[in-house]
Amino acid sequence: MSAPLLEVRELWRSYPRVQAVRDLSFTLERGQITGFVGPNGAGKTTTMRIAATLDVPDRGDVFVEGTSVLVEPRAARARIGYMSDQFHPYPNLDVLEFLDFFARAQGLRGRQRLTTVRSVASFCGLLEFADRPATGLSKGMGQRLHLAKTMLHDPSLLILDEPASGLDPRARIEFRALLKELAAAGKGILISSHILPELGEMCDAVVVLERGRRVVSGTIAEIQKAVQHEQAVTMRVLGDADAAERFLLTWPGVGSLRRDGARFVFPFAGDETALGELLARAIAAGVRVVEFTRTEADLEDIFLQTTKGNLQ
Amino acid sequence: MTAADPIVSAATPPSTLPTEPTRWTLWSDRLNPILVREVLQSVKGRVFALTVFVALLVSVVIAVVTVNAYEPRGDAGRMAFNAGIATLMPLLIFVVPMQAYQSMRLELRGGIVEQLLLSRLVPRRILWGKLQAALVQFVLYVAVLAPLLATSYLLRGVDLPTILVSLLFALCACVAATAFAVSSAAQGVLPAMQPLANLATAAGLGLASFAFVGFAGSGAYTYSVGWLVRSNECTLTIVGIALATAAAVVLSLLVAQSFLLHAFENKSTGFRVFLFALPVVAFGWVLAFMPRSSHDEFLAVFGMSLLVVGIVFGQFMVTEQRELSPRLRAHVPKSRLASLVAAPFLPGRDRGMACLVLYLAWLGGLVAVLWPGTSSRWIGELLRSAGLCVPYAIVYLGLGRWLRGFLPSSVAGNHVARVLLPLAVVVFMILPALVDLMLRGDVRGWHVGHVMNPFWTIDVHNRAEAWSSVLPWAIGVSIGGLLLQVPAMVRGQAEVAAAAAVRRERARTA
Ligand SMILES: Nc1ncnc2c1ncn2[C@@H]1O[C@H](COP(=O)(O)OP(=O)(O)OP(=O)(O)O)[C@@H](O)[C@H]1O
Ligand SMILES: [Mg+2]
Repeated sequence: MSAPLLEVRELWRSYPRVQAVRDLSFTLERGQITGFVGPNGAGKTTTMRIAATLDVPDRGDVFVEGTSVLVEPRAARARIGYMSDQFHPYPNLDVLEFLDFFARAQGLRGRQRLTTVRSVASFCGLLEFADRPATGLSKGMGQRLHLAKTMLHDPSLLILDEPASGLDPRARIEFRALLKELAAAGKGILISSHILPELGEMCDAVVVLERGRRVVSGTIAEIQKAVQHEQAVTMRVLGDADAAERFLLTWPGVGSLRRDGARFVFPFAGDETALGELLARAIAAGVRVVEFTRTEADLEDIFLQTTKGNLQ
Repeated sequence: MTAADPIVSAATPPSTLPTEPTRWTLWSDRLNPILVREVLQSVKGRVFALTVFVALLVSVVIAVVTVNAYEPRGDAGRMAFNAGIATLMPLLIFVVPMQAYQSMRLELRGGIVEQLLLSRLVPRRILWGKLQAALVQFVLYVAVLAPLLATSYLLRGVDLPTILVSLLFALCACVAATAFAVSSAAQGVLPAMQPLANLATAAGLGLASFAFVGFAGSGAYTYSVGWLVRSNECTLTIVGIALATAAAVVLSLLVAQSFLLHAFENKSTGFRVFLFALPVVAFGWVLAFMPRSSHDEFLAVFGMSLLVVGIVFGQFMVTEQRELSPRLRAHVPKSRLASLVAAPFLPGRDRGMACLVLYLAWLGGLVAVLWPGTSSRWIGELLRSAGLCVPYAIVYLGLGRWLRGFLPSSVAGNHVARVLLPLAVVVFMILPALVDLMLRGDVRGWHVGHVMNPFWTIDVHNRAEAWSSVLPWAIGVSIGGLLLQVPAMVRGQAEVAAAAAVRRERARTA
């Protein structure tokens, strides 16, 4: 079996007074998009910088296709495209010149450089802006340029630190499509973001961090299953809502009940059979149920449930 | 994304962009990307256009003034040349380096340099690119002022060799100043040092160019160069200045590179090899150009200076982190012999100590081999002082290495140790004096309590010509100090040997 595209192994990194990353491990496969989420200061940027060879851990290691970023940083760099959370282009260069420079820096030459710059610019929707000064771009255009620059050397792993911040809704949708296309072409993407609904839509897996520690990780389905027993059920009834409330309160597995008129929201501990049983018994008991839904945990719920809001 | 990539080539761009490489594209492929970018940026930027315009304006003014003041056999040509050089110099030792400084700073501040480091550009190439860009600017500025320089030649104010040598020195100054500027900008990686670096660079370069304008404007520069060109010391001076420039440039770039390299890369070997090369270059120059009769003076003065340089380098070497980084461990020379020889040059304070001891032996050995003998009194004194410096170097640097062990093993610990060590010397100098003051009311004279004060101790014993009574002490302390360092030095070698063994083992199993 070949090595995973990215393997973070028992990573520790401290700053004075802050333990930014504690014993973090996870892997990422080819073709996979992994969301990297956590409250501010959770250690996402720190981890990504270590993986991108820009920082060194106190302990632990990161492997890209089996190559340690600590032992062979240069070999690892060739395989990684790292898009940092800030972008400052050079003054006095236009978009194309900017890309051309980084293509040269990546060792591309002659015709190959021209075609690469062209196709990357077109892939990121930058062609119309080719002769704009790179410093004069809007935030979203800047992000596209940044991403284009990150892809010039055809890295197999993209590490994107909050790439979607500052993009308008349309640009975000385009960006998502872009990443999906890249993943479909076999690239692995580690992406951090605070816009959770969006990550949920494109990620195959997530790693949730809090105070430098991994609190949960896995594919979204796995995590949903894991946190399902605490999932919220919404029930709306017609008629005697008090009777319905009494019924629900006596039922085992129903957690703290919230009532809003004839609408009840409660966490339900139990599997789908138990839930079906609850509904059947409710109807049998004369409760006139008109709406009964179990909300699947989305990334936001997972995030809220697994993190405690501790900042560092 | 290469051209072969399926997704990207699928999206065919509209054909507004060139697809066929132009001659410029192909030709510029061979250049350093940094150079290409810097030139492109300065062509588009304002500073360059402005300075070229000013330089042109000044040269026209000078030309007009010169022509008006022209009288046959007057020194209008010389005046024009002085004015031209005085215009050129601030451009070369202030504007060009400051541009390099600014561009480096900008890259560091915006985190662009990290993006560069993630590309295939290694720090060395980035820094060379900056120097090359400075060279291009040098050529352009000289070209702008060339008509003026040519006029001064035609007016018979200055001869061709003077012009060429002046430009050569200007080139040396420009390159050295740029390297200095780039290296002080690179130190901005540590934000705490940035204001200091800003101030030092601007002030240093500003003062230098200010002083030079006075020097050249008054005609003293042209006069000196003119004199030099006709003297028989011309070659040795030019070679000496070129070598000094090269050394300054290499050192600046090593410093800059050490700030840009990955934390686990080798930042030490360059410095250590540089240190070992210095005596060879310096003594080589002496042997090549100096009459045999003055070899003793030069060897003694250079030897003493190189000893001090070695101690300064040593201070850095013995305060590094102890262990090899995982990266270096995986890259030590595989063979037993090569790893043994290379070990003192590899990072780590234990090996740094070994390197320092080797350097002292190397320097002493070179001086001894080349020593022609002397009858001069001051040279004898200088040599004795140097001899007495050795035990101090060993004791204090040993102390520094020991102190470093108590500090955190981070890079910050290295910096702290580098401040603490000189501080320790100062404390050892002041403390006995304070005790004297409290016990006796004054500091009357040297006594054995002041033995840790190298300057006073060496001076007193040199003055009293008590050489023979101190010699056994000096030798004893050196040997004792060395013996104390032996376990550390062995440990340093052993770490490399072990890493080499692991590599051999891997190679066998693989
Ligand atoms: N250079 C530094 N010096 C000191 N502390 C640092 C440094 N960089 C990061 N930290 C600390 O490490 C912790 C983790 O920071 P990091 O930037 O990795 O968080 P993050 O998850 O990316 O947060 P955000 O969502 O706000 O971007 C924070 O507490 C931060 O204050
Ligand atoms: Mg961050």
